[in-house]
Amino acid sequence: MTTTEASQEVVLREISDMLRKVLDEQGLDDTEITTETSFHEDLELESIDLVALTGLIAERWGESVNLAEFMAEKEIDEVIALKVGDLVDYVVGSLRANAGS
Amino acid sequence: MGKIVANGIRTHFQRMPARCADARSAPTVVFIHGLGTDSLASFYLTLAAPVAAAGINMIAYDLRGHGRTDRPATGYRVGDFVDDLAALLDELDVEGPVHLVGNSFGGTVAFSYALAHPHRVASIISIEAEPATEGWGSRMSQLLRYLAHEMTKESTFADIEAKSGAHHAKLARNAADKFHTTSIVDDLPTGPLMSVPELMSIRCPVMSVLGSEGLQAGDPHLLGSVLHNCRTVIMQGQDHSVLVDAHRRVRELLIPWVLGMHSEIPWLYEAAEAAALGTAPAVLADNVA
Repeated sequence: MTTTEASQEVVLREISDMLRKVLDEQGLDDTEITTETSFHEDLELESIDLVALTGLIAERWGESVNLAEFMAEKEIDEVIALKVGDLVDYVVGSLRANAGS
Repeated sequence: MGKIVANGIRTHFQRMPARCADARSAPTVVFIHGLGTDSLASFYLTLAAPVAAAGINMIAYDLRGHGRTDRPATGYRVGDFVDDLAALLDELDVEGPVHLVGNSFGGTVAFSYALAHPHRVASIISIEAEPATEGWGSRMSQLLRYLAHEMTKESTFADIEAKSGAHHAKLARNAADKFHTTSIVDDLPTGPLMSVPELMSIRCPVMSVLGSEGLQAGDPHLLGSVLHNCRTVIMQGQDHSVLVDAHRRVRELLIPWVLGMHSEIPWLYEAAEAAALGTAPAVLADNVA
């Protein structure tokens, strides 16, 4: 894993594309997704959409980035408050940890 | 996202293999979610990964009419959900008895499944759930008719939005659509309902996890007094949302419960057979509160 691949910007762009795919029917085409975008309030992501996102993340980065594991350690109020940036940080952290191991 | 046709329904499911050297011989849990706005996500995002990490195979699926599974117009008796689960496990080539973990209505499905297929169930972990008895049928009938009526009023969604936000109002509209465009309100309470002798014939070990403020707060030990092999765990300060609000505590109960029955794999099958015949072995008896 190179530093570029694991950079915040690259991961944010890829996660944004995944979110557009998951939320295809809701027409997010022109909505800007930033690290401050809230899954719950801004994107109105349903929990079943998070399951779909988990699958796309596993397809892209493999088992070392396990969103279900990440979510399982959170309380319900933390899940509701989750922002795209939190997920980006988790993915980048997992990729770097994996690259270093 | 996995989809497979089971019992004529295109069913969304998720699997996570046990993280161990030989997942094929590891125990399997099947998560069954509740009614209305619920989906497999309530298990997938809470218990699934820790369960797999503990060395247990995990299967979760969306019930018919829910999540990403098909929503047929008719066919919502409890028996239809039982047939769906049997067909899904057949399609997924799941051999041997499984541990059913049911939340709310998912637990109701688990009990009916255990009655219909006793040799396919190693144990039931019932979370804020009760079996499809006659009492359950009449309460469900009243509840579903009340909800279906309330959800014809725009003010209901406005109240939900004011109290819990637009997101919850959207989920409620989705549930309302389910209630108004399918036969679920009429079908579900008709079961088939089980008699007390039928309920007593369920011999697999059961752990009933309840919130002290949940739907069975009035008589939390009723199920334990009827079943032969039931441990009741009451979580203080919790209501019907035990699974989501206290998922770590549920995890701490679930994983040792399942692994405790699998200290030796061949023993699993003996245990399930013994449980089905009503001769629970000593190790299982230790689990009875």
